[in-house]
Amino acid sequence: MKGAFGFQPDHDEAARQAFVGSLKKFVNFDLEGRLGGVLAAEAAKAGAEPEDRTQAAALLEPHPLYRLWASLTFHSQNMMWDAVQDTTDRTIAEQVETFRALAQADDRKGSVEIAPELVVKAPVATTEIHRQPGGYWRERRPDDVEAALNYAGTIDLYRRAKGMSTAGPPQPDAIGRFVASVAQRYAPDLEPRAVLDMGCGTGEETLAYKRIWPEAQVTGIDCARPFIRFAHANAEAAGLEAHFAEMDAGATRFADASFDLIVSIIMFHETTRAQVRDILGECWRLLRPGGLVLHLDVPYQPHRMPLVKQVTNHWQVRHNGEPFWTGFAELDMAEELLRAGFDAETRFARYEQSGPATYFFFGGRKPQ
Amino acid sequence: MTQDTNDGAAFPPGPKPGERHATFFDDPLQDHLLRAVITLAGELSVTRERLDSLEAQLAQQGTLDRAALDRRLPDSEQSQAREAARQKLLTRLLEPLVARLSEAGTNDGKDG
Repeated sequence: MKGAFGFQPDHDEAARQAFVGSLKKFVNFDLEGRLGGVLAAEAAKAGAEPEDRTQAAALLEPHPLYRLWASLTFHSQNMMWDAVQDTTDRTIAEQVETFRALAQADDRKGSVEIAPELVVKAPVATTEIHRQPGGYWRERRPDDVEAALNYAGTIDLYRRAKGMSTAGPPQPDAIGRFVASVAQRYAPDLEPRAVLDMGCGTGEETLAYKRIWPEAQVTGIDCARPFIRFAHANAEAAGLEAHFAEMDAGATRFADASFDLIVSIIMFHETTRAQVRDILGECWRLLRPGGLVLHLDVPYQPHRMPLVKQVTNHWQVRHNGEPFWTGFAELDMAEELLRAGFDAETRFARYEQSGPATYFFFGGRKPQ
Repeated sequence: MTQDTNDGAAFPPGPKPGERHATFFDDPLQDHLLRAVITLAGELSVTRERLDSLEAQLAQQGTLDRAALDRRLPDSEQSQAREAARQKLLTRLLEPLVARLSEAGTNDGKDG
């Protein structure tokens, strides 16, 4: 069954998804790129420079170009989910069968553990994140993987929309590999024996850690069942040993000091302030002496964002299912780390560059 | 939508459905017409690419193999050419509107 699991669009579905990616790219660059000029012109007309996001929004939001941007951004998101749903509807029965076959195979390498009760909390429990129909955790059939298939279908499309690559797909675990390279730089002495990937989603990136540290026990957790099943089948199809479990990252079932590397990729901005504290506290509890915690998230802290980008990001909060995007960006993560038990010497909250992309990294080490 | 399995157990229902029809212009008809045009342009783009693939198949094999056509995905070079064609289509479609509105002030919103 190797290679038979995953999001597999046919010719026309792929063409439709590619069009949505191209539309998003046009809207993100050609259109959004002109909003800065509009804001400057409106500020000149008003005779006062906006000092914060609220003032900038008051100038920008009535403008017809901003409305065009909003209308097209909203529509492109609807089109995206419709376009990936076509592929999922056509293939879902076969994908669920493949999941079962892989999960029950005698020669399976890893494991999948579904919690007895749902562990999902707000905002993921209450919001369709990114306006994905059904959110991350809706199930419509036994052993459902639909939510994860739809999500997986948007990954390539988003890369296109961000102008990242149109010439051949990048490695599917490229961001995991990047996180691993940062871990090696921050903790050159660390040879992790047990790695935990929090909010692992489809588990594509989780596999990077197994590829880089083949001797390590690699575990991925997520609060959404369809993703945990998808991640397991994906790992088995790739022939790699990884263990996946449905768990709340803020209240896991692992013993103290279980891991020497704990990572996450764009999870925190989909939580709440209270969950950030729970999760960082849990990271400290689960970390072994000498271990490293390393989280990657969006670099949208207000001090480094032009006002126009702060306005469009806040629009995503209100209209595109990003409830904690602004709240996350406004958190003082260095302070939150101290509160969770990390010490001032080893904690960090800083930016790292990977090609054209910048990411926010935060975490710390536990003394030996 | 039913959430019951055959044996009566309920499936997790997911969060409440988000907004699907938000509009941003003063007259919502403007949003809907704009979106209709974009959706139609998307279908034109799909049809063009289908035709391109069909012509390539006929040139290579001389016969139509529909199943093979459905499985056919563009190589890297084709991908880039198709991306360029899609951007050209979108630019022709939207650039006049974007340019016009870039010059407009907020008071022009109602006729934008």
